[in-house]
Amino acid sequence: MNEPFYESRKDGWLTRMYRHRWVRVVMLVLAMPTAIAVVLAIVLWQRFGSDRAVEYAAIEEHFKYGSTGGERESGFPYWIFKAMPQVCAQHLHGGYASLGFIFEDGRDLPIGMSMRNYQGVDRTFLNCAVCHVSTVRDAPESKPRIVLGMPANLFNLFGFQKFVFECGRDPKFSSEHIVAEIDRLMQMKGEKLGLLDRYLVYPVAIALMRERLSMLHGRLGPLLQDTDWGPGRTDTFNPNKVLFNFPLNAIPERERNAAVDFPSIWLQQPRQGMQLHWDGNNVMSEERNKNAAFGTGTTPPTIDLAAIGRLEQWLLTAEPPKYPYAIDAALSARGRSLYGEYCAGCHGADGRTFSAPAGTQARECVNPIGAEEALYGPQVGKVTPIEQIGTDPRRLDSFSYELAVQLGTVYAGYPHRYCHYRKTYGYANMPLDGIWLRAPYLHNGSVPTLRALLEPASKRPQIFYRGNDVYDRNNVGFVFDAPEQAGRRFSTYDTTKPGNANVGHEGKRYGTELSAGDKDALVEFMKTF
Amino acid sequence: MDFAKKSGWNWKVILSVLLILGVAFGYYGWYKFFREEPQEAWITATPDMRFRYGSIGGERDAGVPYWIFYVLPRIFPEKLPGPGGYASLGVSWEQGKELPIGFTKKTIGFPRVGNNCAACHTTNYRAAANQNPVFLNAGPGHTLNLEAFFRFLVDCAKDPRFNADTLMREINLVTDLPFDDALAYRFLIIPMTKKRLIEREKQFEWIYRKDFPDWGRGRDDSMNLTKYFMLQLPMDNSFGPGDIPSIWNLKKYDVAGTTMNWSGDSHDAYSVIIDSALGVLGAPPKSNDEFLAQIKWLQEYLSNTPAPKYPFAVDAARADAGKVVFDQHCATCHASEKTGRRMPLAGVDTDRGRMDTWNKDNAVAANKVVAEMGITRKGLVEASLDGYNPPFLDGIWVRAPYLHHGAVPTLRDLLEPPANRPALFWRGYDLYDQKNVGFVTQGAEAERVGTRFDTRQLANGNGGHLFGTTLPAPDKESLLEYLKTL
Repeated sequence: MNEPFYESRKDGWLTRMYRHRWVRVVMLVLAMPTAIAVVLAIVLWQRFGSDRAVEYAAIEEHFKYGSTGGERESGFPYWIFKAMPQVCAQHLHGGYASLGFIFEDGRDLPIGMSMRNYQGVDRTFLNCAVCHVSTVRDAPESKPRIVLGMPANLFNLFGFQKFVFECGRDPKFSSEHIVAEIDRLMQMKGEKLGLLDRYLVYPVAIALMRERLSMLHGRLGPLLQDTDWGPGRTDTFNPNKVLFNFPLNAIPERERNAAVDFPSIWLQQPRQGMQLHWDGNNVMSEERNKNAAFGTGTTPPTIDLAAIGRLEQWLLTAEPPKYPYAIDAALSARGRSLYGEYCAGCHGADGRTFSAPAGTQARECVNPIGAEEALYGPQVGKVTPIEQIGTDPRRLDSFSYELAVQLGTVYAGYPHRYCHYRKTYGYANMPLDGIWLRAPYLHNGSVPTLRALLEPASKRPQIFYRGNDVYDRNNVGFVFDAPEQAGRRFSTYDTTKPGNANVGHEGKRYGTELSAGDKDALVEFMKTF
Repeated sequence: MDFAKKSGWNWKVILSVLLILGVAFGYYGWYKFFREEPQEAWITATPDMRFRYGSIGGERDAGVPYWIFYVLPRIFPEKLPGPGGYASLGVSWEQGKELPIGFTKKTIGFPRVGNNCAACHTTNYRAAANQNPVFLNAGPGHTLNLEAFFRFLVDCAKDPRFNADTLMREINLVTDLPFDDALAYRFLIIPMTKKRLIEREKQFEWIYRKDFPDWGRGRDDSMNLTKYFMLQLPMDNSFGPGDIPSIWNLKKYDVAGTTMNWSGDSHDAYSVIIDSALGVLGAPPKSNDEFLAQIKWLQEYLSNTPAPKYPFAVDAARADAGKVVFDQHCATCHASEKTGRRMPLAGVDTDRGRMDTWNKDNAVAANKVVAEMGITRKGLVEASLDGYNPPFLDGIWVRAPYLHHGAVPTLRDLLEPPANRPALFWRGYDLYDQKNVGFVTQGAEAERVGTRFDTRQLANGNGGHLFGTTLPAPDKESLLEYLKTL
C-alpha cells in the first residue's frame, strides 16, 4: 500500500496525468493554436511593428529629407503618394513639381518630404524644408541654385492641400485605381507588390486615408474658400484652430484670409528674446518651432524632439548666403547712413548685428503675464502697433485671444507645455538678415521688391506674379512682372483681395518720401545683409 | 498524514501569496484612483493664485477627469456657443495658463478638473478693444456662460460619440498615456464619467426648458440650483437668474443685522461661502475639518480683498459734486443702516422672479441638509422673502449690468426711467464703457461675443428702481462720476 503512494509523491500530479496517452494528445492539440498564435504574433510584429525613419548624418540632408516624426500620425503611404498624381491627374496638371516641390537629381521624393517605415508601411510626409527651402536663378535659362533656410517661394501649399483633398474625394481614390497604379510604378522600378500588400495593406490604407482626408477636409475646407494663398505663403493660425477643432466657418470674418509669407529661418541665436512670428506672439523659439512642427504632421506623442533639436541647433548659427552679384560700394555706403537714420531703429544696425532686446528667454509659466507694454517698442524683435505700421490686419486678427489661451493647453502633461503665446495688436519688427532672398516683402508678401517697398502703397504694384525664382538685381527681389516665362506660369497676386493689401509701412519715417536716388542707395546697402 | 501535512503548508504559502497580492493590488488601486497629491506649488504660493486655481475639493465628486475635460471641446465643438473651445463660454482665461481661472487641476488617483469660487467670481475687462483683458479677483464673472457650461457637459455625455473609442482616439493624439492608465480610462473612467454626467440630467431639466429664456452670460439661477441639486426637489415653474455678484470686501457684512445674497436669504458670509462651496463640491465634503479650513481661508481672503479702484481718469471736481447728489438721493439705501438688509419689494418694484425662486420651507430644508453633514453655520434665513437687499456699492463701476438680475446695462441707463432703458442688449462682452459706466452692450462685437438679453422675457424685466431717474442731467453726470470712485 505504501509503494504507489510513495511513487505519487515523487512524481507530482502533472507527471501522473501525462502517463495517459489521451492527455498528451489533448495537450498537444491545445498547444498548437497557442504556438501558431505566437508565431503569427512574431510575424505580424516583424511585418507591422516597425517604426524606422530614414536618417541622415549630414545636417543639410537631415533638414531636406529627415523626419520630424510626422509620418507616424499623418504620413501618406509612400506608394499611394506616388500614385496620386497619375490617379488624380485631372486635379493636378504637371505632377508634384507643378506645385513648386523641388526635386533634386536622383531623388524620387522632393525636398521637404521624409520617409519612415511605420507599422509595416513606408510613409512620407512634409518636413520643415518644404516651407523653408527655395531656388534662385540668375536668368531664366540658368540652372536653379537651391538655398536652404530661405522662404519657399515656389511651394504652393494651398494648391497641395487642394489637390490632396480633391483626390481623396475623387471616385478614383479607390483600391482599384490606386493599387493598379502602384503596381505599374513598382514594375517600373523593378519591384513587385506583395500579395499581403495588394489585397490587405493597401486596400485598408486607402480606405483609412480617404476617411482621414474627408475628416480633415471637413475641418480645413472653409480655408480653401479664402483668397488663394499662392506659392510662398500659408495661413499659419487658422489651421492651428483646426487642431482644436474650432469650427472655421463660425470664426469672425476678420480672422479669415490671413495668409502670410513663409519666413527665412536662419540665424536663430541672435533672435533669442525677440517676439517671434509676424505678430510677435511668442518669445520662445522652442514653442514656435513645435507649433510649426504640427504642420509637418506631428502630435505631442509622436513628435521626434531629438530630430527637431538637431535642426534647432543648426539653425542657431546657420547663415544666409551672401548676395552673389555686384554691389556698388559707393552707393551702398550712402545707403548705410540712410539706413542708420531710417531703418536701424526697428530693424537692427545691419543684416548681422541685430541684437536681441532685453527680454526674458527663460521659461516662465508660473507668472506668464508680464507687462503688456514690454511686448511693444521701436526696436528689433518688438511689436509695432497696427495703428502705426498700418499693414494688412488679417494675420494679426487671425491670432485671436481665444486661440492664444487655447495654445496654453498644448503639450499639457509634458515639461514643454506652451506658456508664452500672447495676443498682440501689431506686427513685429524683423531682423533683416538675408533680406535679399526674402522677397516679396511685408508679412503677407504683398510688395514684390525692396525697391517697391520704398514707394508709397499707391505706387506699389497692384497686381504682380509670384513663384518666379529669377532674381531681379535692380529692384531686389524676384522677377514679378512676368505672368509666364520659359513655359512656367506664375501665380497672380492681386493686392485688392482680402488679406492681400499692400498698404502700410509707408510715410516719411518709412522712407517712402525719400528721393529716388536715396531709395536706390538704401536698397544697394540692404543687398549686403 | 504526510500528504495532509504538506498540503497544509502549501495552503499557508498560497494564502500568504494571495494576501500579499491582494494588498499590492489594493495599494495599486488606491494609488491609481484615490491617492491625493498636492497641487503644484505655485498655486498655493500666493493667496491670489490660490483663489484663482486652488482646489477647494471640487474635483472629488463634481470633477471631470483631466483628459476627458481636455478633449471634449475638440470632439463636440458644436455643443459650445461658438468657436474657441472653453473660451467660448466666457471663462476668464489668462494667457499661458493650462486652465481658465476657476478651473482647478488636482490628482486624486488621476488628474481631475474641478471648479472653485473664482470660476464665477473673477471679472475680466478690457480698457480698449486692442488691449488684452485684465482680471479682477472676487469680481462678478459677467462674461461666464454658466448655463452653457452645464449644458455642454450633459450634452456631451448624452451623445453616443461620448464613448471610449472616440475619446481615446482624441486623447492619444495629445498625450501618451501609460498602458494601465489607458486601460483605466477606457474601461472605467470614461464609462463612469459618462454615467455620472448623465445622472445630472434630471436635476438640470429646468435649464433645458423652452419656456424659460437662457440665463445668458454672467448670471445663474442660484436658488433653483440649490433646490434641484442640494434638496433634490421636483421641478417647479419658478425662474429667477440673478447676476453673479462681486464677493470682495466681505467684511462689510460683519455688521449685525445685515444679510447676504440678492434677496437677503442668507445670514452671513460664512454661511454663504459654505453653501456656495458645497454647490461646487457637488457632494458632502470628505472631511469637514479640511473643508471648513478652506472656508475660513476664503472668508479671510475675501474679507480683506478690497474692491478694485476705477482704473481710468476721474474728474475729481465733478465727483465731489456727485457726492452731494449721492448723499441726497442714494445714501439712504446704499450707505446707511438699510444697506444689506432686505427691503420690501413695493416701492422698489424691480423684477420679482429671483425672489420667488425661494421660500421659507426651502431654507429650513437646506439648513437641515447642511446640519446633517455635521456643519454648523447660521445658514439661510428661514423666512418668506419679500424684496431685495439694497447692496453696498463698493466697486460698482465694474459690477455691470445692474439690478439684481443685470437687466440694465450701465449706470447711466439705470438713471433713466425704465421706458428709456435699453429693451435689448448683449451681455458678456468685456470692453469697458467709461462714458456710460458699465460694459459695451451694443454693436457688432458685443453681439458676436455676448448673449442677447431681452428685457421682455421671463424674469428679465428692467422696471423699478426709479430712484434718481428724474434728476437733472448735470446731476446725473456728477453722480456717475462719483459712483466711479466707490
